[in-house]
Amino acid sequence: MARRSQGTKLHLAVLCLVVSCHAIGLSDLMERASQRSDKLHSLSTSLNKDLDSHFPPMGRVMMPRPSMCHTSSLQTPKDKEQALRVSENELISLARSLLLAWNDPLLLLSSEAPTLPHPSNGDISSKIRELQDYSKSLGDGLDILVNKMGPSSQYISSMPFKGGDLGNDKTSRLINFHFLMSCFRRDSHKIDSFLKVLRCRATKMRPETC
Amino acid sequence: MSSCGMCVHPGISHPGKPVLINCRSPEKETFTCRWDPGFDGGLPTTHHLYYQKEDSDGMYECPDYQAAGSNSCFFNKSHTSIWVNYNITVVAINSLGSTVSDPLEVDVMYIVQPNAPENVTVSVVETEESPHLLVKWEPPHEADTRSGWITLTYQLRLKRQNKKESEWEEYASGKQTQLIIYSLHPGEVYMVQLRCKLDHSLWSEWSTTTHTEVPDYILKERSIWIVVTVFSAFIILLVTFTLAMKRKYVKHCLLPPVPGPKISGLDTQLLKSGRSEDILSSLINQSFPPTISTKDQQVDYLLVFDSEQVTPDLQNGRTRTKNSIDHGCYNHSLLMKVNNEVKVGSREMVEQGYSEGLESTFRKTKSLSTDVTSHPCPQKKPFNNVTETPKQAPVSSKYRSLSHHKDLWDSLARHLDYRETVVKSQSNCDDKHNLSSQNIVTPSKAIGCVEVQRWTKSIGLQVQVPEMDKKQEDYSKVSVVENDNIVLLKRETVPLNCTSCKVRGNHSEKCLQKPCKPNMTVPAKEGVHIGSNGYVEPVIITLYKM
Repeated sequence: MARRSQGTKLHLAVLCLVVSCHAIGLSDLMERASQRSDKLHSLSTSLNKDLDSHFPPMGRVMMPRPSMCHTSSLQTPKDKEQALRVSENELISLARSLLLAWNDPLLLLSSEAPTLPHPSNGDISSKIRELQDYSKSLGDGLDILVNKMGPSSQYISSMPFKGGDLGNDKTSRLINFHFLMSCFRRDSHKIDSFLKVLRCRATKMRPETC
Repeated sequence: MSSCGMCVHPGISHPGKPVLINCRSPEKETFTCRWDPGFDGGLPTTHHLYYQKEDSDGMYECPDYQAAGSNSCFFNKSHTSIWVNYNITVVAINSLGSTVSDPLEVDVMYIVQPNAPENVTVSVVETEESPHLLVKWEPPHEADTRSGWITLTYQLRLKRQNKKESEWEEYASGKQTQLIIYSLHPGEVYMVQLRCKLDHSLWSEWSTTTHTEVPDYILKERSIWIVVTVFSAFIILLVTFTLAMKRKYVKHCLLPPVPGPKISGLDTQLLKSGRSEDILSSLINQSFPPTISTKDQQVDYLLVFDSEQVTPDLQNGRTRTKNSIDHGCYNHSLLMKVNNEVKVGSREMVEQGYSEGLESTFRKTKSLSTDVTSHPCPQKKPFNNVTETPKQAPVSSKYRSLSHHKDLWDSLARHLDYRETVVKSQSNCDDKHNLSSQNIVTPSKAIGCVEVQRWTKSIGLQVQVPEMDKKQEDYSKVSVVENDNIVLLKRETVPLNCTSCKVRGNHSEKCLQKPCKPNMTVPAKEGVHIGSNGYVEPVIITLYKM
């Protein structure tokens, strides 16, 4: 009898320990997620600036319009009031959907970057790889977050990427590369904004995090 | 003049092309576009802004031309969409025509630039250690920081007003609306400016400068400096006082005195006093040439001369070939020859050499004395004693060299007039002795035997030892050798009858009976007195230079 009670006690202790190890608070998770999304957007902004520095003037005219981005089908809030009206589950769903939609394009971009006809394609290539790392890290963190938030937050919209390659000639490759990066810049800004709104809402106790 | 609607009249034309300067959103909720109207063509011109949104069709005109001032278009919240491209153009219209500006693609997410922070307050907080600045501010009033839609980060910069060419120091503040600045210069006026940015937006303009003065806090620290100053002054005084008290010791440490020669038989204090009479009396306590005033007087002579020829056995292993003392006890006509000069080396060595010479000479004398059968003088017991002399410390610390009394010696030399040997105190110990030639300084108490020496072309050292008391074992000590002429022996004896004899050259001596006095003064020119009994009676050893 005494042995059994000792065993159960031990079990409980181990269980508590395991649970406590994983018991990172929601606010902490949100803080980490928003930090990664912030870094993601900063990287994409700097990439775009690098590309802009050596862009053919004609390219701006020839560049596809942003509505041609493969993620434009996703309905996202367009201003602050709309964003504040969106539920937390939807916000995180939107963020995760957008993030997932860029996994494949980033792969393509990272494979095309070294051969890009651009003077600083080495820089661009390394930044793309960094983007991939942050993207994956953020995705994993959001997965953990949705596990905490409940099943209704786990819906993901699928936005498959259909672009096979960037083109054959140098100019079109450059233009398409630039176009994709500008799409990603906008989408990373969306992800960052949604997560920061989510962060503020999740930590009602601490308004200084907003 | 034909009416020509489209003709260009002098001074008027269709408007110039307006230029869209920029569009700005201060809080990510509204935005404002501004344009430069351009040349108006000399006619009243109106400007219209049209925009087209990416996700909807149709051209729309600016909803508000007034709110942001002239040549501007204000898009309020309902007309502002983010993550949507705006295609904006401005059209200038006058009576003669219209001109369309170049289009501008605008996405609100790219044109965010907040206003500067407001209500910047800087206060000086004074603590014990040092004051610091507490800077507080507020976000721009239109920014909504509570919903999470925007996140403001701030930056502060600081500069000293008085110091020229000083740079702005920048400090990042993150999301806080206050900052503490340390390491201030007291008494300086500081200028503070702030700016902020929204997430990834452009930085705002720097806020208006806030001036603040840091009070001079030297007054506070004065007490500390006073304590420090007093303490160090006290320490310095203590050290100075200690050094002053121990200045002799310090002086001894820093400037060690040069040891002087120690020649026994010489009173340095007396010499230092500088009175030549006293000095002479102390140095020369015998009449010169030596005379024996009483029967009992006997003269001991110690002969010092160059040793090479004469007394190799006098050397006690010392390498003092040039100085030696030979002591001979002769009969009347016993003469010795000394050939070479005796040079005086260092005085200590001389003393020692002499003392050893003394020893050897005494030994010899002893041996000689036994041979002198006709010597009527009583044996010299003191010889036995004398032989023990060298065991005494030869150097008397009381006596110092007379090197500096050269004039004294010169005067002595004049009186003593040495040419050849001198002699003796007579064997019969009467008070008369025959001087063959020289003056001999004789001690008042001859000891044992008559010694005759003759010096030829040499420097002879004649030592006259005052009579030794049986009770006392006193030995002559050479106190100084000076100028190759004179060597002084110093000796202390018990009080005896004081006699003084004048000895002079070939003249007969005049022996005067004088009461015992510790210091007899002798006029320098008169000659030499024999010193009084019982006191320091230096025996003068003269070196004769031939």
